[in-house]
This record gives sequence, structure tokens and C-alpha cells, in this order.
Amino acid sequence: MERPGLRVRAAQAAQVFTSSIRFGRKGTVIWDSPDMIAMQIVILPLVQISFFAILAGYIGYTASGVQYIVVGNALQTMSYAAVFSVANITSSDKWQGTLPTLMVTPANRMALFVGRAFFQAGLASLMALVALGYSAALFGVSFARADVPGLLVAVVVTGLTMMSFGLLISSIGLYLRTAMIVANVFLFLTMLVSGVNFPVSALPGWLQAVGYAIPMTYGVEATRLAIAGASLGQMATALGEDVLSGAVVLALGYLLWEAFERLARRTGRFEEY
Amino acid sequence: MTNRRQAVKASMYMSMKLLLADPQWLIPVIIAPFIFTLVALFLYRDVSGPILLYAVLGAGLMGMWGTTVYGSGSSVTTDRWNGTMEATLAAPIPLVWIVVGRVIWNTLIGLVNGAAILVIGVLWFRTGFSVTDPPLFALATVLTFLSLSSFGLVLSTVYVLSRKGGFISNSIEIPVYIATGTMFPVILLPLVVQPVSFAIGPTWGIDAIRVAALPGYTGIGTGYWLDLLVMLAATACYFALAFYLYVRVERLAKRNGTLEEY
Amino acid sequence: MAEGETAAGETGAIEVVDLRREYATRSFLARSARVTVALEGISLSVSRGELFGLIGPNGAGKTTTIKILTTLLSPTSGRARILGLDIARDYYAIRSRIGIVFGGERGLYNRVTAVENLRYFANLYGVSPSEIEGRVARLVKLVGLEGRENDRVEKYSRGMKQRLHIAKALVHDPELVFLDEPTIGLDPGGARDVREMVRQMKKDGKTIFLTTHNMFEADELCDRIAVISRGRIVALDTPAGLKRLVRDISVIELQTYDATSEFVERLGRLPGVTRVVPDIESERQVIKVQTSAPAEVLPLIAGVAEGVRIIDKAIREPTLEDAYLKLVEE
Repeated sequence: MERPGLRVRAAQAAQVFTSSIRFGRKGTVIWDSPDMIAMQIVILPLVQISFFAILAGYIGYTASGVQYIVVGNALQTMSYAAVFSVANITSSDKWQGTLPTLMVTPANRMALFVGRAFFQAGLASLMALVALGYSAALFGVSFARADVPGLLVAVVVTGLTMMSFGLLISSIGLYLRTAMIVANVFLFLTMLVSGVNFPVSALPGWLQAVGYAIPMTYGVEATRLAIAGASLGQMATALGEDVLSGAVVLALGYLLWEAFERLARRTGRFEEY
Repeated sequence: MTNRRQAVKASMYMSMKLLLADPQWLIPVIIAPFIFTLVALFLYRDVSGPILLYAVLGAGLMGMWGTTVYGSGSSVTTDRWNGTMEATLAAPIPLVWIVVGRVIWNTLIGLVNGAAILVIGVLWFRTGFSVTDPPLFALATVLTFLSLSSFGLVLSTVYVLSRKGGFISNSIEIPVYIATGTMFPVILLPLVVQPVSFAIGPTWGIDAIRVAALPGYTGIGTGYWLDLLVMLAATACYFALAFYLYVRVERLAKRNGTLEEY
Repeated sequence: MAEGETAAGETGAIEVVDLRREYATRSFLARSARVTVALEGISLSVSRGELFGLIGPNGAGKTTTIKILTTLLSPTSGRARILGLDIARDYYAIRSRIGIVFGGERGLYNRVTAVENLRYFANLYGVSPSEIEGRVARLVKLVGLEGRENDRVEKYSRGMKQRLHIAKALVHDPELVFLDEPTIGLDPGGARDVREMVRQMKKDGKTIFLTTHNMFEADELCDRIAVISRGRIVALDTPAGLKRLVRDISVIELQTYDATSEFVERLGRLPGVTRVVPDIESERQVIKVQTSAPAEVLPLIAGVAEGVRIIDKAIREPTLEDAYLKLVEE
């Protein structure tokens, strides 16, 4: 018996994907109550932006300098959902012992994990939009010239590409006892390297390289362009780089997962790392 | 009933052994303040002068705070994950003394963390670290350390009661940096928020530390000794509150049979 | 006859030829790895519709065997075919057609309900969406979780989790079901229910491969049994056939108080005694004396029983357990 044809496999992958999306909403380990999620969306962005905005003001940044920082942080707050929560997905499975349970199904692995993380991508974009709302309402960022469709595209695309980044961290976490530690590191790292608070060029060379490997760096750039009124065409390079880096990290995450499955099949150890 | 000092010492010792067994768990505790510090210091990149020492000192304070905020919960979380909560509750000594040992250990780590960040900042920015009045600086630091411990103790009750402790520490971290004026004076905050700031003991300690360290610094304006007095009063309140809360927590645990459902 | 076909011309459910599995453990400083052999080249075959048991002591290789047959572990050498499919090449197809019950406290999603777990796995296995609700409802009923199916799994007892494991294994109506120690850790009532479910699976025409170290369970359920010891299959036969290995042996079962290992040794030295199987660590001490001449041995026991109180003694027929003990201790 051969493997079923491409059509059938695609349909099955779609079924795995859609059911994983629904499941991803409910299966999160800890922060699954609506009030927690509401708090995350409403409070975290406000607090993070405030800290850096007030600090920048105190240092003596001009109004536009502060706004630069405000917009950057607004987008960065999506990391709580896109990076942190997503990175903990495989840990949650490892801890519950469901990794072997998943591995014996014929389900397409990419469809499964992207599906599981999808809800967080939506949450990430929502957090960024709420944060941008704060930046307009409370921090004086003007959206008068903004290209709104372009802005939405930038936010949604970056939500997805950072979700992919989170999935890469999730795969790295498979080889460790828990993903919690790497998740923590990468949650905050973009604050430093993604042109959020200051341009990437202010960093030493090696840190710049790190920044350019992360989709958010391009997402922040695209967002700034959109707010300044750039058209989608003018944003194309930044968006393209965003998508490309997202695809690369997604592929890397997938390869790591496959390698882990092969390793587990060879050594028989799933949960002892 | 176990000797209290014995319980505190044993608890501290166990915290140390747990840390040595899994040192990587220090990373989540220190990474947040560390990166915040780096970002804050980069924001100062085009600035020079005495304000840099202010920044660097503030960074060290963030390091201390961050460890308190995350660390006060991590031991409770360890208990929860290891299933040792019931055994801890069953020990013949009020729960609060066991937690005191852990909190002291955590705040010690915080001191070390803060000092490390301070050193990195000083080296990076070549600010030189000359403090106006070293003995007063040391005194203020130690007393602020005590105040942070007591705050951590109160905070830890939240972790004991709720599974969502991790989320709470994530949420509370930045507000604490803001409210206690680690990186900028409290007067810059909206008027509604300022009473909260002044209600937190360590805010005064931080002011005292800066008065002792930075030449010509006036800060809140109340002066060094009044700052310390207010902080000590707040600290006493925190300890009292913590003890009271822990008595309630234990009673709740014995009534419901478990603390682990929330 | 092509490989994998039985005499009747249809493909067997499981064909295993010379399966070998080694584990290499390399300690940090060692220059070479220490190799442990978990399976030393086992071979067996299971026909469709059969209820096959693999019994053996802990560490004998039962779980390793099941993991290999269910594509979770790759063999070091050897071949195996599941439903005519090669485990090295066709694992995608195999996974769609087998169900696995690993059981235990883990392996289910705790924060969602039983129904949500079942629905999700049904989707992962590609069950036709229109059939999912009906099937989930039927399975809930089959495993006796009605009324609790909308509770979160974290609130389930061990027995309930085991039932859910079984339901999950059946959600895609597989032809072949693997069960690894399905009744371990369950109370007698729960264990009995699980065995009934296994019997029902067989009645529904499924092929079943189960591992256990409960001999009575194996005796009661299985059509054929393979005994595995230290990575080798030491016997493969029907339960009756295995019991014939010990047909010349009777067992004197002693219930004792204050028995010591010296007493056990003295018993072992009595003429006519082939083996003594003591269980003197638990509060209720039971010592089984295997002998082909129970009538001669029985009166001798009192002679060596100084300081030991014998509460009860009985002579009984050998069970599968006795056959098993004979096989694994040689």
C-alpha cells in the first residue's frame, strides 16, 4: 500500500490544521482564563510603553524620539503571545506526556503545530493593535498620515512571522528539559535587538546579526513606514524581509522537530532531556 | 514546634541546594532585569556626565527588584511542581518561617544580581563608581534589601494561593520598576499613581541610596534619614501583613485540604 | 508464499523477524559506549483477529517491543511488518490503521475535557468530520465514561484516565490495537472492566497485541502467548500449551507468619522440591513450593519450620504463572 495521494494528504493536513487551531485555544496550560488574557492584552502593553516612554522623556529625547520608542514597544509587546506562549507549546506537551501520543498519529506535524500556535498569532496582532491604540491616545503618536491597510498588513504579517519564530524556540525547547528558559530569553531579546528602542545600527556588529535574523526587526520597520504614510509598495522590501525571515525560522523549527522525532525514535528517549 | 531559626536556616540551605542543582533556573529570574538594563543603558548612549551613574545605579536596583519579584514565587512554584506543598504545610512550624528563609535567600541573590548589573554598567559606560558617602550608601542598601525581602514575602502569598503566579510576576515587574522610581524620579508619574509609589517602602530606600551615592542629589526632598524611617515603617507593616496573610493561608489550606486548586 | 502471508493466503497482522534493539549509553567521560541489548533478535507472528499476549518480567523487553511495532522506536536490526506494511518505510500508513493504549497518568491533555480530547485525536487521525460526534458519543458509552465526559481530564481518577486512553485508541476504528500493561495500577473492578473492553474489541474483529505481567489476565484473555525474558522469547504457545510445561508439577502454597529467608532456603533443600517462590516481604506471606511429589514433601515441611508459623497450606494445580516462572528463571 502506497501513501495516499497528494490531494488526500492535503485534505488531511487541513483537517489537522483546523482542529489544532480550535484545540490551541483551549489546550494552553496555564493562562487560559479570559480575564487573564484580557489583562495581558490591556495592561502589559500600556505598562511596557509607559516605562520606556517616561524614561526617554527623562533622558531628554525629543517628542519624535519618544514616539519612535513608543511605536517600537507597541509592536514588541506582541512577543508575550507570539514568542512566549508559543514557545511553551512543546513544553506543555512534553510535561503532559502527549508527545508520543502525537507522534503515533499520522497527522502532518507542520499543520499540527502551526495550528496550535495560530490563536497566539491572532492574540499577538491584537496586542500590537491595542498598544498602537495606546500610542495614539496616550503618547501623542499621530496616525493622521498613516496608511491604515498597510499598517494592518504589517501587524498581521508580523504576528504570523513572530509566531513562526516562537515555534522555532519551541522546537529548540524540545532538546532541553523545558522551553521556559529560552522562551524567557527570546521574549525580551527583541526589545534590545529589533530596532524597538533604538536603531539596530546602534548595536555592536554581532548583536546586529542577531537582530536581522528575527522577523520582528523587519516588522517594526514596516510598521514605522506605514505610520509615516508609506504605501504598500514602499513597504514592500521590509514586508518581504519579514515574510522571508518568518519562512526561514519556520522551516528551521520544522527541521528541528523532525530531527527530534528521528532522534527520539533512535534512542527511545522523549522526555528525559 | 521547630525552632524558628532552625527552620529559616534549613529553608535557606535548601533553596541554595536547589539552585545549585539547577542553576539554569536563575536565568528567567535575571534575564528580564538584565535586558531592561541593557536597553535602558543603550537609551543613554548619546549622553554623558553624572546622570549616567544615576542610570547605572537604577539598573542595579532593577536587578534587585526583578529577582525579588520572580524569585519570591519560584520556590513556591517549585513546591507546586514537585508536589511538596503538602509536606511543607504539614511541618510543625508556621509556614511563614519556611518562606522567610527562602525569601532571604532570594533577596541575597538579588543583591548579587544587582551588584553584577551595576558592575557591568559601570564598566560599559566608564562612569567610575565613586559614591558620596559609602557607609550611608551601604546602610541604605542593606535596609532596602530588608524592605525588598518583606515585600517579596507579601508577594509570595499570592503565589501560594494561585497557579497564575507566573503571569502575575510578569505583569507586576514593569509597574514595580516604574512605581519605585528605579530609572526615573517618581514625580514624573501621573499624580494618580504617585500615592501608590510612596506607599511602597523600597521607593524611599531607593531615594536614600541615591542621596548617599550621587553628589548633590535631593530626590524626593525628605532627606536621607526620613527616607529610611518611612521605609522601615513600611517594612514593619509588610512583615505584619505577611504574617497575617500566612496565618489565613494556612487556615484556608487546612480547611480546603489543599492549596493547589486555584 | 510471499513473505508475510499465512498459509491461508492472507497477510498476517504482525510479522516480526529477528528484531534486535540495542541501547548505547555513553557516560560523559567514557571513551566507548556501553551497549545494553534490550531485544536479542525476537521473532513472532500474529494472525488477524487473534488476541496475542506478550508476558515477561519488568525490563524483559515488552515495552521496547511494543514501541518498535508502533513506530515509536526504530530497531537496531531485523524486520517487522504490521498489516503487511514495513515499519521502517510505511509508518505513515501503519499509524492510520493501528490504535495504541500506553495508559498511565500521562498522555492525555489535562486541561480540556474527555470529549475534546477524543474529538481532537479523531481529527488528527483523519476520521471523517461527519462521523466524529457520533463516534465520540459511542466510545464514551463503550468505556463507561458517560456523565463525566465533559469534565476536564485533570479531575479524572486513574481508572477513568485508562478508559479514556482506550477510547482514544479506538477513535479511528483501527484494525489492530496495541495495549501496554492495560490494567496496571487499576483496582480489581477497573481491571475487570478493561478486560471486558478488550474482549469486546476482539468480538468486533480487531486484532489485539497486549503486554502484561499479570498471568491470570494473560491466561484468561489470550489466544496465544509469547514469554519474553531478558530480550529473548523463551516460549510461544497457547496458554494451555504453556501450562503443559509444568503439568508434572504441583504447587504447595503455604501461608506463613514470621517466615525468614533461612526457612525458604531449608525448603529449597528438601528432596523432591524443584523450586520455591517466596513472597515474605509483604504482610501476608505466601510461599509457593513447586514439587512433582507433593504428598511426600508436605509432611517434611513441618520438620524445617522451627520458629515459623504456618497458618495454612494447600496443594493446587500449576497455573500459567508457574509455567512462566519456570521459563524466566532458567
